[in-house]
Amino acid sequence: MADRNAAKDPRSQTRNPARLNPLVRMGLGSPVQSIKYMQAIPAVRGVGRFMWNRRWFWIAMIIGSIVLQLPPPEGLSSEGLTVLTMSLVAIVLFVTEPIPLPAVALLIVVGQVILLGIDSDVVARSLMSDSVLFILGSLMLAVAVVKQKLDKRIAYFIVRMTGTRTAYICAGISLVSGLLASVIGEHTVAAMMLPVAITLISLTSDNPKDVRKLAAVLLFSISYGCSIAGIGTPSGGARNAIMIGYWKEFFYDPTNPETRRFLVDYVSWVIYCYPIFLIQLPFVTMILLWTFKPEQKNMARAVAKLRRQIKSAGPMQGTDYVAIGVFFCVLVGWIGFSDTLGLGTVAILGAVTFLLIGLVRWEDINSGVNWGVVLLYAAAISLGIQMKDTGAALWVANSFLAVVSPLGIESGVPLWAAVSALTTAVTNTMSNGAAVAVLGPITLKLATAAGESPLLIGYITAISSAFAYLTVIGTPACTIVYSSGYLKTTDFLKVGYRMVIMSTILLILSAWLYWPLVGL
Amino acid sequence: MTDKAQNDYDQASASDETTAERFSILVCTDGSDESFAALKYAVRIGSGTDADLTLLYIRPMDQGLRMAGLQASLARENMLNWGLELPGTKALRRARDRLVELEWLSVDWEQTITHKSVAGDPLGDNVTTYTSKEGRSIALKLHVATTIAEGILDECERGNYDLTIIAKSEDDDAAGPGHIHPETADRVALEHSGTVLVTRALEESHGHLVCVTDEESSIRAARRDAVIAARCMCPVYLLSVASEEEGRETAARAIAAAKSEIEAAGIRPSGEIIVIGDPITEIVEEGKKYSVIVLSPDASRSRWRRFFSKTTTIEVLKRAHNSVMVVR
Repeated sequence: MADRNAAKDPRSQTRNPARLNPLVRMGLGSPVQSIKYMQAIPAVRGVGRFMWNRRWFWIAMIIGSIVLQLPPPEGLSSEGLTVLTMSLVAIVLFVTEPIPLPAVALLIVVGQVILLGIDSDVVARSLMSDSVLFILGSLMLAVAVVKQKLDKRIAYFIVRMTGTRTAYICAGISLVSGLLASVIGEHTVAAMMLPVAITLISLTSDNPKDVRKLAAVLLFSISYGCSIAGIGTPSGGARNAIMIGYWKEFFYDPTNPETRRFLVDYVSWVIYCYPIFLIQLPFVTMILLWTFKPEQKNMARAVAKLRRQIKSAGPMQGTDYVAIGVFFCVLVGWIGFSDTLGLGTVAILGAVTFLLIGLVRWEDINSGVNWGVVLLYAAAISLGIQMKDTGAALWVANSFLAVVSPLGIESGVPLWAAVSALTTAVTNTMSNGAAVAVLGPITLKLATAAGESPLLIGYITAISSAFAYLTVIGTPACTIVYSSGYLKTTDFLKVGYRMVIMSTILLILSAWLYWPLVGL
Repeated sequence: MTDKAQNDYDQASASDETTAERFSILVCTDGSDESFAALKYAVRIGSGTDADLTLLYIRPMDQGLRMAGLQASLARENMLNWGLELPGTKALRRARDRLVELEWLSVDWEQTITHKSVAGDPLGDNVTTYTSKEGRSIALKLHVATTIAEGILDECERGNYDLTIIAKSEDDDAAGPGHIHPETADRVALEHSGTVLVTRALEESHGHLVCVTDEESSIRAARRDAVIAARCMCPVYLLSVASEEEGRETAARAIAAAKSEIEAAGIRPSGEIIVIGDPITEIVEEGKKYSVIVLSPDASRSRWRRFFSKTTTIEVLKRAHNSVMVVR
C-alpha cells in the first residue's frame, strides 16, 4: 500500500514511456528525451519548491541570527535582545506561515531553554496558566455547543423576531450573533449561523451573481456581529483571557492590597466593555446596508421557505433544554466564581459536564479542537512574560514613546488612539489572540512609562484586537463566512475600513466619556 | 480508509495504461465565468473521442490559527447537515451541468465516486468519474492542498496531462477559498513541466498567434501548438519579433523553420508576421487580435531565478490582455 502511494507521489513519478500521446505519436518530442528531462527536473524542482515555500522561515532565521550577533542597544539587556529577536521571528512566522504554526510554538519553547538559558521545568510551567486553561476549555465548549445543533432553533427565533425585511433580518442576525458571541466565542457562533445565512441566500436565488450584495450583507452581519461582541465579556475570546492573565502577572502583588484592582473579574469586564459592543450594533447594520445596498429589500419568499425547513426539525427535545441549562450554569459560573476559581476552571468544568452527561463525545471534541493552536497561545503567552521579565517590553515601550512624543502622542487620547491603531494594524495580519499575546506586554509597559492606567490601555489593546475587519484571516468569524464562497477578499477592505473608523471612534469616546463614570 | 478504497481512489485519480493513447486535458476551475469559458474551450479542443477531461477545484487546507483553535471542518459539517453545498462542490456541479449543456456528457455515462481523507480532514480529496461507452472519461476532482498553486501543480504532475487550462480572472469575479488568483495562474504556467494555457477574456474564433525564435525548442513548440490548434480548427499565425532591423533576416528564418515544421505535421499556417521592436511590447500588442498567444518557455521555472530575472514569457503572461499558452 505504501509503495503504491509512493509510486503515485508526483515528486517520485516520472513520465510513463508507454504513454504515447497524440503529440508524441506525431513525432513531437522523443519519449526518451522526455523521460530524462522529467527524471532530472522533479528532484531539483522538489528542493527548489521546498526552499521557496519556506523562504520566510529561512529569511526569519537569517535575520534572527544576525540580530542576535549585534550588541544590545542602550537600555536593553542581552536577554532582552534575545527575547525581542524571538518575538520578531515568531511574528514573521505567524504572519507568513511557512511552517505549521504549532511548530512555531515548539520553537519558542526550545528557544527559551537554549537561547535564554531558562530551566526547562520553568519554561514548561510557564506554558500553563488560567488563560491557557480557558482557551482549552472554551474550545471544548465550542465543539460541544455546535454539536447540539441548536442553529435551527436560533434561525427560527431570528426570523420570528425580525419579520421579512432585509434590513431587519440583518439587524437580527447581528444582534443574535453578537449576544451569543459575547459569551461563547465567535467561531462557535459563526459556525452555527453560517448555514442560516446561506440558506436564506440560496432560497432567494440560485445564481450567486443575483444575490452578491445580499450575501455580503447577511454574511458580514454574522462576522462583524461576532467581532464587535467578542469584547463584551472575558469569555468572548482568548484575547480577553490573555489580557486578564497579563494584568495579574505584570501588576498584581499579593502583598500589596492596592494591586487587587488588577485582578479583573467577569463582572468588571462586562461593565466596562459590554456597552461598547451594544452601541456598535446599530452602526454595523447601517454600515453594511450603506456599503452594499442589496437589491432585495424584502425576503418574504426565502423566509417562508426557511420557516418550513426549520419546522420540519420538530419541537425542541429534552437534550436541547439540558444543553442550554448546562451552558447557562457555565455562564453563571463565569459571572459568580471566575475570581476565585478562574475563567479556565469554569470552562473546563463546563466541558467536562457536557462529556459526563453524554451530550458530546470525546471523539467529537478531539477532532473538533485544533490542539496545536492551544500550544501556540501557551507559547506566545510564555514569551510575553519573558518580555516583561527581561525588560524587553519596557525598552520597546520607551522607544515607542520616544518616537511618537515629538508628534504630541505622549498620553491621553492621542496615546490611546496610537495604541488602538497599532493593535488594529497587527490584529489584521494575525489572529486577535496572538496579537494581544504579542502586543500586550508592550502596551502595558507603555502605559506604565507614559503614566497611564495599565487597565485602560489593556482594555484598549484587547478591544482594538477585535477590529480585524479588513482581512479574511483577521478573525475566525471572517474566515468562516469567507469559506461560504460568496465573498471576495476585496469585500473585506471595502466595508472593513468603515468598520475600523466607527469602532475606533466609539472606543475612544467610551474610554474618554464612559469609563471615568464607572471608575476606571 | 480501506485498501480497496485507496486503490479505487488511485485508479481514479491517476492516469493509467488504458488512457495511454488519449489526449488528456486538465481544466482548473473556481466557479468563475472565466473558468467556464476555459471549460468551453477545453471542450472544443477535446472534440472527438480520443480526449479525456479532468476538472479540478482546489480547496486550501484549513489553517488552525485562523479559526482560533476550532477546526473549520466543524463549520463545513454544519453546512452539510443543512443540506447545503460547499463552494467546491457547487463549482464542480455547475461545470458538470455546463458539460451536459454542451452535450459532452450525458446521463447514461457510468459514474464512480472515490474519496480519500487528507491530513485528518474528513472532506479530503474527492473524485467523481464519468465514463462513456466509447471510453471517453470526465473526472471531477475536489482536492485539498496547502495552497491552490501547489494543489494544481501536484495534480498536473500526477495526471501527466497533455494540456492544462487555467483561467485568469482579473476582475476577481469568483470568490471564496478556491478562487484562482492571477498570480497562481502565472505560477502554474511557469512552473509546470507540461503545456499550460492561461485563459483571459477568451474569444475562441481568432486563432493562435505562435511566437517563434530561431531556437529549436521554439520551433518544436510551434508544431505542438499547431497540433493542438488543429484539434479545435483554430487557424495558426506565426510571429517573430526582431529587436532591430538587422534581426529581420533571423526572424524570417525562424518563421520559415516553424512553417516547415508545422507543414510536416500536415497543418498549414494561416499567416506569417515579422515585426521590429521590443519583443514583449510587440507580442502583447499584436496578440490582442488573436484568441491565444503561444510561447515556448525561455526561463527557468525556479521561483528563485524568476525572482531576479525578467523574461519574455513572464512579462507576456503578466501584460497580455488575452490568453497565453506556454507550450512545452
